[in-house]
Amino acid sequence: MTELIRADHLTRHFKIGNALSRRTLHAVDDVTFAIGEREIVALAGESGSGKSTIARLLARLYSPTSGTITFAGRDARTFRSRKDHLRYSSEVPMVFQDPFASINPVFRVSHGVLRSLKLHRPELSGAERQAEAERVFDVVGLKPDMLQRFPYELSGGQRQRVGFAQALAMKPKLILADEPVSMLDVSIRIGLLNLMAKLRDSEGVSILYITHDIASARYVADRLIVMYAGQIAEQGPIEDVLSAPKHPYTQLLLSAVPDPRAPLAEVTDRGEPPRVVDPAPGCRFRWRCPLAIDTCQTVTPVLADLVPGHEVACHVAQSGAEVKAFVS
Amino acid sequence: MPELLDVQGLCVDYVLPGGAVRAVDDVSFTVGRGEFLAIVGESGCGKSTLLFAVAQLLAPPAEVTAGTVTFTGANLVGLTDKELAGVRWRNMSVVMQSAMNALNPVKSIGAQFKDALRAHGVSERASVRARSAEVLKMVGIDPVHLGSYPHQLSGGMRQRSMIAMAMLFTPDLIIMDEPTSALDVVAQRALMVQIKELQREFGFAIIFVTHDMSLVSHFSDRLMVMYAGQVDELAATRATFERPRHPYTRGLLEAFPSIRGPKTPLRGIPGNPPDLATPPSGCRFHPRCPYVVDMCKTKEPELYPADDSMVRCLRIADGSLT
Repeated sequence: MTELIRADHLTRHFKIGNALSRRTLHAVDDVTFAIGEREIVALAGESGSGKSTIARLLARLYSPTSGTITFAGRDARTFRSRKDHLRYSSEVPMVFQDPFASINPVFRVSHGVLRSLKLHRPELSGAERQAEAERVFDVVGLKPDMLQRFPYELSGGQRQRVGFAQALAMKPKLILADEPVSMLDVSIRIGLLNLMAKLRDSEGVSILYITHDIASARYVADRLIVMYAGQIAEQGPIEDVLSAPKHPYTQLLLSAVPDPRAPLAEVTDRGEPPRVVDPAPGCRFRWRCPLAIDTCQTVTPVLADLVPGHEVACHVAQSGAEVKAFVS
Repeated sequence: MPELLDVQGLCVDYVLPGGAVRAVDDVSFTVGRGEFLAIVGESGCGKSTLLFAVAQLLAPPAEVTAGTVTFTGANLVGLTDKELAGVRWRNMSVVMQSAMNALNPVKSIGAQFKDALRAHGVSERASVRARSAEVLKMVGIDPVHLGSYPHQLSGGMRQRSMIAMAMLFTPDLIIMDEPTSALDVVAQRALMVQIKELQREFGFAIIFVTHDMSLVSHFSDRLMVMYAGQVDELAATRATFERPRHPYTRGLLEAFPSIRGPKTPLRGIPGNPPDLATPPSGCRFHPRCPYVVDMCKTKEPELYPADDSMVRCLRIADGSLT
């Protein structure tokens, strides 16, 4: 697998409070991962786990507090010129969660596609831009006459396809898709997931698929990264992680997925959100973990390979003990 | 035994300048005491409008144009707010979709409980305090949070305090409109288990609206599937999951990827839900239906009994689709 983008020790903190109580929210803390070419990586975790912050860091909407992003072999901190920045933002576009808010309602949908083509691919003539817009609409499964529609004339699923068409027009290498299907109806979600797989297989695009829906992640992704409280709890090939989850949090997450085909699993956890404001050292999951040992109270676990390619940040799992915190 | 709630032939129209749009079309169902009825469907299928009609909370341009809502023996349709006030909250309460927005952000939880209690005749300070603390404990929140403001609580706690509020008078029926949709899976599961436990303990009936069928699979007694303002299938929950009858229900169940078992390519349901201003002729699902035949395009199906289910499908009715 050729590496396309990598994040090393990526960290993003936010200052909160006022002059009398200065506190720091650790949205993303020391996160290291890579995404290969032609790969869909699912980033899963509960709300507040830092998933969207990672997408925004990769899109360079936020600058990291520390840590680096390396894209196609080049450190993103060395981007200086407008040309560098434009090139990066065209190769790493974002598709947003809410298709009702992310398309300008007063323009035809062609506006967004043509405008980004003009900005990012100035070598194209007007006619070529139109042809390219029609091509990307065709790829995402929209008829060319849809270009002339206004957003209000399109359904949620069609709008989200417009979002992917806009991203695709820029000849992207990596699409950052932040919960692209969570606002859509169940019956049309699968269509969008199939589209993502098609973009990988026939257009050669990598996708970072941010979601809290593990089942949809399994359907489309090659690898899974599970986030908890701003840190990576577990990552690896998705079938490995789902068939043999090693981190207690991953096990909890899997046991809570509603599945009509399986009996109801016993879960006593309340789903209280993690504390990420000025966190003390130690495992951030220890408050909810039935297996927590003394080390977990004081030492922050780091990701380590359990089997090659399958990494877990858990003291208990790393000690070689069998982790069975929650049964799914 | 008479049913707790009996809805017959309910129609709700949105009266717009361009003509009326029928959002709920001839819906009939009953809810027994202590029953858990789930209503599922896509956005725009009329499920929230139906809930609002049952609770008599519709505001113009929406209005009930036909049918009855009989609750504990009395028809609620056409009653004035004053007449409804005795029923609301005491006998029937509603948990709104998003607790993030349904709670007043500038009032403490306790103050909001007090408002509800006072408006319904409990004003003595000691009983207000005692009852507020009691319901909060029932949903597993420390009563110290009566002094907390909504922003100080997590999403799950806010949603649970909404449910506590709905239980202030231990009503016979609690109507819930997607109460878990803003929560992540772990909190969602915990809330569902809690709702079920409370129901077992206090015996109220629940109407639970959701777009996520798999969520209620282990919790509801009966399942009602809505499509384009109509009931498509009404049956025991387990029966529907084991043997979905209506093509739309089949499609919905096949649209869920699973975290277990072999990975199979899924198709979802092609097309989009219809615009209710111009519903398709014949069966409303026919443009998206994989089993469509000619008669579906012209003849409007009714709800037909099929085994223990009620199904709105012509081909199920004549036995050509099993």
